[in-house]
Amino acid sequence: MKKGVEKQNKSRQKLPIFKPLPLPTNADQKHPLLTANKAPMHAPAFKTTAILDESAVGRPFIIHARENDPNRAFGLPRNLWLEFRLLSKPYTVVREITQDVAKLLESAQEKSSSNTRVVFTGRPGCGKSFLLFQAVEQCLQQKWIVVYVPRAVDLVNSTTSYAYDIRTQTYLQPWYSYQTLLRMLTVNKDLLKNILLREDLVLEKSTLPKGTPLTIVIETALAEKQRSVAQAPLYLDAVMKTLEGQNQYPVLLAIDDMQTLYGKTAYRDPQFLPIQSYHLSLPRMLLEYASGKRSFHKGAVLGAISASRTSHPIPLELRDALDLHTEEYPIASPYDKRNKSLVEYADGLKAMPVPEKLTLEEAVGVFEVWKGQRVFGRSNFFYDEAFMGKYTESGGNARDFVWKGLLATLDA
Amino acid sequence: MNTLRPSVLQPFRRISSARTYACARPFSLSVRQQDDFARPERTEYSKPIPSSPNFYTTRAAFYDQLTQLEKAIGRSEAYLRNQHLLPLPDFARASLPPLQPVWKDQIEMGLEFRTKMTTTRYRKITKLLNQLNDFQRIAKTGGCPELEDKLGSILELYESSKKEALLSRGKRKPVVLDEYGRSYTLGKRKTSSARVWMIPVQVAPKNDTPESLLGVLSPTYPVTTTTILVNNLPLNQFFPLPADRERVTRPLKVAGALGKYNVYAIVRGGGTTGQSGALGHGIAKGIVAHDPELEAMFRRAKLTRRDPRMVERKKTGLAKARKRYAWVKR
Repeated sequence: MKKGVEKQNKSRQKLPIFKPLPLPTNADQKHPLLTANKAPMHAPAFKTTAILDESAVGRPFIIHARENDPNRAFGLPRNLWLEFRLLSKPYTVVREITQDVAKLLESAQEKSSSNTRVVFTGRPGCGKSFLLFQAVEQCLQQKWIVVYVPRAVDLVNSTTSYAYDIRTQTYLQPWYSYQTLLRMLTVNKDLLKNILLREDLVLEKSTLPKGTPLTIVIETALAEKQRSVAQAPLYLDAVMKTLEGQNQYPVLLAIDDMQTLYGKTAYRDPQFLPIQSYHLSLPRMLLEYASGKRSFHKGAVLGAISASRTSHPIPLELRDALDLHTEEYPIASPYDKRNKSLVEYADGLKAMPVPEKLTLEEAVGVFEVWKGQRVFGRSNFFYDEAFMGKYTESGGNARDFVWKGLLATLDA
Repeated sequence: MNTLRPSVLQPFRRISSARTYACARPFSLSVRQQDDFARPERTEYSKPIPSSPNFYTTRAAFYDQLTQLEKAIGRSEAYLRNQHLLPLPDFARASLPPLQPVWKDQIEMGLEFRTKMTTTRYRKITKLLNQLNDFQRIAKTGGCPELEDKLGSILELYESSKKEALLSRGKRKPVVLDEYGRSYTLGKRKTSSARVWMIPVQVAPKNDTPESLLGVLSPTYPVTTTTILVNNLPLNQFFPLPADRERVTRPLKVAGALGKYNVYAIVRGGGTTGQSGALGHGIAKGIVAHDPELEAMFRRAKLTRRDPRMVERKKTGLAKARKRYAWVKR
């Protein structure tokens, strides 16, 4: 029995990170076998002023690591995470639509978030998640408070604990709420310390008076982990309510995999019936912001659907709201049953179609990034032909261009 | 001596359509016989003279023709000898331009000669015809137009009506571009077939700058891209596997024509490998149609060749084409 336990623990151990041995002093430093595999590519930093320039379209930019990196705190969608693991640094290419989103956010800065509720739509692999990540990065640089949900599917696939709450008649997700608070604090620490709690936060054994800075509120929640995990939904609710009311900073709520929130979840009630997503505390909160039932004084709600997630097809209610009735979706009849609550939660969302094809200059930017990483090619390699070939084969689709083109080819 | 005498080749005539059996007699004979019975005193009268010297061979038409052919051979040979064109050294004979004859087949020839055309008889005729054909080639090359014409008029009587069709069999029909410069080609692989339409990408050069307008700088051309639509879907949506996609674009890469053409294709039958192969084959043929200079290169790269490999048949006693049943002791 004990042996088995030990074995399990062993397999759980993380693989150590590869570290190259130091070279002997008399070694030829420039020998191709001894140089590092991934040469750092020089690219300008991803800054809003830089990316809004006309010449920025199709150029790769680098996202420098910071203390409050959103991709470290909130995480990333799976595809992006993998891509950044393969690249030596997180590179990203500015597209025309990136500039459009930047302008949209600029105009949203002074308006209520209910005015700017946009969902990125498009075919699988056209770059919706990347665009959302770029928007998050831009907002952080422009002193927005950012709440990023890179994998909304984790809110509904029954991977975290849940408990029924009689007061709100919803199922609370304490552990996820706790995590969200922690992440919000890591990313937005500098701004949250200037925002004060608007109402008293009454907890089980104590009360946090109004006027407490939000950083203190969240730190209190984090300090007593054992007890506060259960109360994390309360903390989160208070923090979000305060963010709604304040008008010092705009707030960005970015939700990837947004369509997973519209529908039944994998959580079950005591009768073993699937729980609706709007009966779970966190998805309900996100849905309320998305539908404009709740809104931030200043800010925006951005979402992205993930069209390649076959386990969660885009529900009819969301398709109606975003007007997604092209031939790539199954034909929807007006007589098909729609959930009225979900129709309300999807009401007023605007679709922002991401272009299906990378333009030639955008594709050149992506190509330069991967070429700089030396993932393919050799000496005397025809890079022009490889580029044109992969662009033609992928039909301009960004994911196919990289994953099924540059990284999958045996040409080079 | 060098002039062609009119008697060298007698006017070659077709056999009259009257039936000339050895046993056939004029109908009047029987009337005469009746008269003979009617008249008491019988008079001696001679046999009718046969219309052909080959009358008693029972195949007069055939042997008449044969004789005439032989005569023609003899006379033309004599004429060519007179012209010092015969005997021809081997190297000269080898360098003669080919003149591919297609004779009437055995059945057609049988109808012509009104004889049962056995293989032996047919071979006899074709041997003579081939000989005459050789003489015609020599006459043509040697500069004897009169003889050539005469031989030609003889030989054309025996040439098959389907000569053109038979000679063009196995040869590829040339692809014709339509009024918009589109090519339409057919590609095949395994059990798949692809209909491919290709059109060159049309882009106007950028002539905005004053230098280029004045002709100081040559106009710049924007980089164009190829769009491939398969059954109305982009290539990446129709073929999810990278290997299939690369098979489709290979001819474009070999020709260095990526970005030069737009392709629209309809594929039917088979699986993804077959369909992508068929599409590649069709595109290769299309490129050759647009750019005939690439024909030899594509042939050598075996891009325009239809891959003849098909599914290997199942054999009796085996589980599949090659797989054997497991050995069982009992």
